[in-house]
Amino acid sequence: MSDDLKAKVQELIDSMINPAVAGHGGFVELVDVQDNRVYLQMGGGCQGCGAADITLKSGIERLIKEELPEVAEVLDTTDHASGNNPYYQAGKA
Amino acid sequence: MDRLLLLLPTTTYRTEDFIDAARTLGVDLVCASEKPSTFEAHAPDHLLTLDFTDPDGAAARVAELAARRPLRAVVGVDDLTTVAAAAIAERLGLRTNAVAAVTAARDKFQMRQCLAAGGLPIPRFRRIALKDDPFLAARGVKFPCVLKPLALSASRGVIRANTIDQFIAAFRRIAALLARDDVEVSGDAAQFLLAEEYVPGLEVALEGLLVEGTLHTLALFDKPDPLEGPYFEETIYVTPSRLPVAVQQAIERVAASACAALGLVEGPVHAELRVNDAGPWVLEVAARSIGGLCSRTLRFGTGMTLEEIILRHALGWEIASLVRERRPAGVMMIPIPRAGRLQAVRGQESAASVPGVEDVTLTAHVGQELVPLPEGWQYLGFIFARADTPDAVEAALRDAHARLKFDIA
Repeated sequence: MSDDLKAKVQELIDSMINPAVAGHGGFVELVDVQDNRVYLQMGGGCQGCGAADITLKSGIERLIKEELPEVAEVLDTTDHASGNNPYYQAGKA
Repeated sequence: MDRLLLLLPTTTYRTEDFIDAARTLGVDLVCASEKPSTFEAHAPDHLLTLDFTDPDGAAARVAELAARRPLRAVVGVDDLTTVAAAAIAERLGLRTNAVAAVTAARDKFQMRQCLAAGGLPIPRFRRIALKDDPFLAARGVKFPCVLKPLALSASRGVIRANTIDQFIAAFRRIAALLARDDVEVSGDAAQFLLAEEYVPGLEVALEGLLVEGTLHTLALFDKPDPLEGPYFEETIYVTPSRLPVAVQQAIERVAASACAALGLVEGPVHAELRVNDAGPWVLEVAARSIGGLCSRTLRFGTGMTLEEIILRHALGWEIASLVRERRPAGVMMIPIPRAGRLQAVRGQESAASVPGVEDVTLTAHVGQELVPLPEGWQYLGFIFARADTPDAVEAALRDAHARLKFDIA
């Protein structure tokens, strides 16, 4: 079942998620699916981006859960501190 | 499920912490930024693009959404969003400060006028037009003075001048800063600067929450590094304050009076004051919470974050405790030592291993162009510490900072 879910998540990433984040120079990779938890890694413009959490939680996770209700949680394994080309950079507002 | 709208600028450091707080509370979260999210088309009821510089336009746009999907609360994060957040909340009849009060807090000249009218201890001040002749303007001030933009934060553009020549140089430097592409100011903030007398003394920051007009002090931070100019880069914040109790109480009273003078009655407040033999002086009152990642030093009750408290207050939910944990804590906003491109960072593990240091979070990335104050607008990162005494917290922060090496070329 986990392999099946993994394949479905990958299909979503390929067909809907990565085309969306590509607009900001970003990409998302599926790391694993364990116990209905999806582990992702963000790269490119998403890595270190100040809005990465919005993209992940209000965008990616929402989309995955709507399409695959059996997914319990989407977790970010990205080392954002190592991002060297974030699309949005945080600063003193 | 209650719906909450968060106004999150794309430049804020606070996104992760506020979103985590919203998830902890289990609210239906709507996020609005000033630039589009890549998923806005997929989630139009949860991702919005709003022009934060057009509060009425933002309010109208959100009102349309709220007519279909009602909102329970609106919270603006960072200075850029405070007026828009108030306008939206006011339009929807939600808990908020009056737009006029938040607008006054957002403009340092208006703020000074309100505080002066309220009889608060503030430095003497003048608003000077950027089109004015700086030499003539300088002859109307007493030295030493401090020049600053009306609407920037975190000491950006704040410059001390001891002489007419220094005044003129600072004036021109601020004018150039306000003309930069990465500085978003409009109206008076783009046309004027503020000149005020320099107030010597220790500087503190009061983090508070207004509830129906009563200011609750969440934390009083000492800023132990002397802030004497020419630039006023904030580095270390330590709480609880080591000032005498009577002085702390005086600071709290003055801060509360300042909030009342501005007409602020609800929500987070971040106030900066100086303290000397004449007592506390109000430098600034911001109608928003502490900036950067500094809120991570604060825990309340059984571990609630500042962000959770802010959201609970906005929602009208019960807050179990506004009492900060007893253990002293602090943060260093790692300053940018010089301009250049960040090539490498060394010593992170050593810094993180200092007893008392909880975390070293670097927010600048390798390859990034670094701009120091007064033009700079970013931090290199943050160091967080907790220890048995405020002195030990400060020592841990300094030790950790000393172990970090930044290669900038």
